[in-house]
Amino acid sequence: MSPTAMQDDDHPQLVLPGDRILYDPSSQKIKIGPGLQQEDTLLIGTKLGVLHKAAGNRWWIDSNQRRYIPATNENILGIVTHRISEGYRVDIGAAQPATLDQFAFEGATKRNKPNLEVGTLVYAKVTVANKDMEPEIECLNQSTKKADGYGEIKGGHLFRVSLAMARSLLDPSSPLLKLLSQSFPFEIAVGMNGRIWINAAQTIQVITAANILQKADGKPVDKVEKLIRAELKQMKERMDVT
Amino acid sequence: MRPDKRNTNDIRVTHTALGQLHRADGSGRYQFGDSSVLCGIYGPAAIGLRDEKLDRAVIEVSFSAAHGKSTTRERLHERLLRSTFETAILSALHPRTGIRITCQTLCDDGAVLATSINATMLALMDAGIPLRSVITAVSCMVDKEGEVFLDPTALELKEAQSTHTFAFDNVSGGVVSCESTGVFTEEEYESCYDICKQGSDAIERFLRHALQKKLEKQSGLDFGKS
Repeated sequence: MSPTAMQDDDHPQLVLPGDRILYDPSSQKIKIGPGLQQEDTLLIGTKLGVLHKAAGNRWWIDSNQRRYIPATNENILGIVTHRISEGYRVDIGAAQPATLDQFAFEGATKRNKPNLEVGTLVYAKVTVANKDMEPEIECLNQSTKKADGYGEIKGGHLFRVSLAMARSLLDPSSPLLKLLSQSFPFEIAVGMNGRIWINAAQTIQVITAANILQKADGKPVDKVEKLIRAELKQMKERMDVT
Repeated sequence: MRPDKRNTNDIRVTHTALGQLHRADGSGRYQFGDSSVLCGIYGPAAIGLRDEKLDRAVIEVSFSAAHGKSTTRERLHERLLRSTFETAILSALHPRTGIRITCQTLCDDGAVLATSINATMLALMDAGIPLRSVITAVSCMVDKEGEVFLDPTALELKEAQSTHTFAFDNVSGGVVSCESTGVFTEEEYESCYDICKQGSDAIERFLRHALQKKLEKQSGLDFGKS
């Protein structure tokens, strides 16, 4: 029997697959997220990661991986791989390609619909994510019926980071993008599937930003600041030369 | 006394590494002394209509020896790895997909099967594949005098009457797979089981400690004592 762990408030808790986590079943309902399964009064970890508990009795395991598992309402970056009769087939980095309906765009009608080439990059939202079905995505905010930033993305540069890195960039309190934006303006789109698109006025800025984000992957915050300063210094030196 | 001055129930110095392969979805390296195996995980990914299963993920294993052509020994290792991890992976969570496990022996100094099971376990955890439990494996051998040695080297294995590899799961504490070769008695087999059980418990504690250190370094969090 593996050790039965209690949630310790002083320290974050490491969970390995099969670890049993006790919780108080007499309290209200609990909601379990990624990496956890329930068995009677026990929670069982299925992944390697750090146990988290948030308001509303929500429990999950924060783990890092590279393969994307789709979940509804997540924003992702996908690449059109096929044009099919009712829309597009889009590679979103998951096991199965996603379907993008031809009418899932702002103002799309039978007569007026977007024409995307194979290879087009799209920023979209996952609408159907079921393990037994192909995922579906849309380039439309359903509440406003507007594009709201979704849709085809032109120019710039696309690269991959780990899923934990992508999540941390979407955190408003994340210092990385704040630090980066102090040195030059840039546009960024972060997909929960670990894909990042970036664009700036100059190519060298795009390269620097991409290098920083890829090198910062898997490093704690205090080390990242040093890395950013070094990379920016290098960029300035190169810009002075040219 | 053993050639490397270990006690009969000591495992060699172990070393682990995670995420060394950049193109794989997860990877792990495990070392028992000079025996070293690198494992890469690809998936859950789409596989052909012909191979996919409607209700679960298909697990494919390929195993390569350190050098030379692949033989029936490698096929046997593949089969053992597959049957071991088919029980551990929660494959129903990723139906119609395939999970590919690729093991490459970097250096063979005995106990390669146990090393590759441990390397695969690390790689699966790195890839974030949902698992039922942590599986750890260790080998032992019985020499001609009937003495049992844990985690034998290639040199020691020359004197072996029989060799045994046991894989244990940390939830039930039971054996999930075992491979034995040679001639041995029931008592010898039971003493091999006991010594391997202790060895694999030690490996599980080591893995937990190593993973904690790695995550602490990566996230800057402090987990306290393990």
